[in-house]
Amino acid sequence: MNTFVNRFSTNNALSVIRKAQAVVDDDEEFSDAAWGSEAGFGSLAKGVPSFSIPAVHDPTAFLRLHTDDHADPNCRIKIQHGTTTLAFRFQGGVIVAVDSRATAGSYIASGTVKKVIEINPYLLGTMAGGAADCQYWETYLGIQCRLHELRNKERISVAAASKYLSNLVYSYKGMGLSMGTMICGWDKTGPAVFYVDSDGTRLKGDLFSVGSGSTFAYGVLDQGYRWDLTDEEAQELGRRSIYAAGHRDAFSGNTCNLYHVKEDGWRFLGNYDITKMHYDGPGDVPGSAQVAYGYDVRVEGRTSSNPPAAAATA
Amino acid sequence: MECSFALTGKGYVLIAADTTAARSIVKMKIDEDKIKSLGPHLLMAYSGEPGDTTQFAEYIERNIRLYQIRNLYPLRPPSAASWIRRALADSLRSRKPYSVNLLLGGYDTSNHTPSLYWIDYLGTQAEVPFACHGYGSYFALSLLDRYHDPEANLEEGLAVLRRCIDEVSKRLVVSPGKYRVKVVDKDGIREIEF
Amino acid sequence: MEYNGGSVIAMVGKGCVAIGSDLRLGNQALTVATNFEKVFPVTDRIYIGMSGLATDVATLREQFRFRVNMYTIKEEREIEPESFAHLVSSTLYERRFGPYFIEPVMAGLWKTQAGEYKPYIAAADLIGCLNFAKDFVVAGTASEKLFGVAEGLWEPDLEPEDLFETISQTLLNGVDRDAYSGWGAVIHVILPDKVITRTLKGRMD
Repeated sequence: MNTFVNRFSTNNALSVIRKAQAVVDDDEEFSDAAWGSEAGFGSLAKGVPSFSIPAVHDPTAFLRLHTDDHADPNCRIKIQHGTTTLAFRFQGGVIVAVDSRATAGSYIASGTVKKVIEINPYLLGTMAGGAADCQYWETYLGIQCRLHELRNKERISVAAASKYLSNLVYSYKGMGLSMGTMICGWDKTGPAVFYVDSDGTRLKGDLFSVGSGSTFAYGVLDQGYRWDLTDEEAQELGRRSIYAAGHRDAFSGNTCNLYHVKEDGWRFLGNYDITKMHYDGPGDVPGSAQVAYGYDVRVEGRTSSNPPAAAATA
Repeated sequence: MECSFALTGKGYVLIAADTTAARSIVKMKIDEDKIKSLGPHLLMAYSGEPGDTTQFAEYIERNIRLYQIRNLYPLRPPSAASWIRRALADSLRSRKPYSVNLLLGGYDTSNHTPSLYWIDYLGTQAEVPFACHGYGSYFALSLLDRYHDPEANLEEGLAVLRRCIDEVSKRLVVSPGKYRVKVVDKDGIREIEF
Repeated sequence: MEYNGGSVIAMVGKGCVAIGSDLRLGNQALTVATNFEKVFPVTDRIYIGMSGLATDVATLREQFRFRVNMYTIKEEREIEPESFAHLVSSTLYERRFGPYFIEPVMAGLWKTQAGEYKPYIAAADLIGCLNFAKDFVVAGTASEKLFGVAEGLWEPDLEPEDLFETISQTLLNGVDRDAYSGWGAVIHVILPDKVITRTLKGRMD
């Protein structure tokens, strides 16, 4: 009778062993290649990444058929598109600010995405376009930067790091990678910002914004930008610009993540809710005038009517 | 690419429209006036499909004038906006719709209030404190959210308009060169050298 | 439907109904205005909400006002919700082969023989197929999300204030997962003797 009980029991020692065996057996049914990963390190562990390719005549066309949602909005795989990210260089370093929304079609899949990738203590990368592409390649870039450091006993320059990434993504051109990123940091030459995208464009500059909300961010950013901004003013400008994009662009929003890069590396300054900034302002933070950003909130009670004095009193 | 902006201030509406008439890749004219006066206190900036724009604007202009002749009084801005919107909405479902985008700014002398209407070629209407048509809107709207003040005097209003135009010139790939600026207030309509 | 964005919802309560909409007017991803109401009064006890192409929302609002006025003059009485629903349906079907791109949602109270008021809600598709419901109806770009939240929050026989809370939470949380809807909301709770209208603060992104 006990054997019968044991056979169907789920919590005695024998059944635990039986379950463990079943798991191991399961494992052996698949080769390592089927997992697509080596002990959780992905293809990064091998040094040179390699990818399995769909077994069809034209893999690139196959991928495009199933991911390009401009051609077919109902296609299976939807890559994250909407975003606002910005970075600018000024007297006090580099400000990096991004939103945190991920959309799949009109559905807001997440409001808490980390779109700043901390490559190493001196380098930040921003994320626009394919989330996985950015995450993977910027992490990979981090590994290469560390190797550079070990080989040369010197930190990699922002220019070199961004060039490495640019060359890398260019080698995949036409295969469907989608990324628009800013590599920001501080090196021997001081603060630096580089724009790198999956077309292979790489631009050095003072001020960039990338993503569907970038135009709205530019509108505020350009008007408030000066090289001799104080640290506090610059941080406020970054926050205000991301708010502007979050408010006007349907595919950007939720929260703003703010970073400041200085000589001693980057610092995370905070996460600010965009709706809270609309109604109450960013709160008691450096650079903030403690006023609400929202237009309707800001101009409440103000009117464009100009009744003549007599009419007003009557 | 065509751009028009409008914003309200203390007792006035400012309207600016670019002055280029383009055909294919060629600029045919660089001093075209795309803002019509529809009455003593009503301005309309129009942009869109060449041909449709002037035809529709003239149709509206004549009919608003006819109303004023028949009734001695001109239509007030909200009524004019409603009527124009309906004209566009009806045209949308006709055999050959007009594709014209409008900004309608007016000053209502009966309650001393300036008002601005954003109307697109589908007949979508919204009353707004500031508005833009064309690619300029992607840069200027966030800027206006930040800098627009409904109680700004004319100089301040022009300064904000200047910011919009500068921003669009800075960032838009093919930005218009010149703009014509008109203002409507209690004294009527004036053109402003910009 | 995704050109201008926007969503509408209506719910039944105990002796009352509620209807509400978001306030966004968009031009695809660009938000043009955040004061665009999509719910309009028809009589003292009937409201109609319309989501979809904004130009048709405005045109049909005018159309319905005209037709309801004509009905009132001819019949010398106010229209009842069920008749109004059929009026809406026929108006939409008139454009069967070139439809107005809107999905209407109607909410009202109808007077029984005994003189008491019973809730009535209905929705239709863009060519006028009516859908009567005992609980709630939704329309617009956030309709799937609203269905999900409403399915979880709604319960029968809600008192006016509870109904207001339920519809508000449903609408606000539903549109927070939709990129094309939101930017504030407005709710009307229709009671036999009055209508309570409240504008809600919502997420502005």
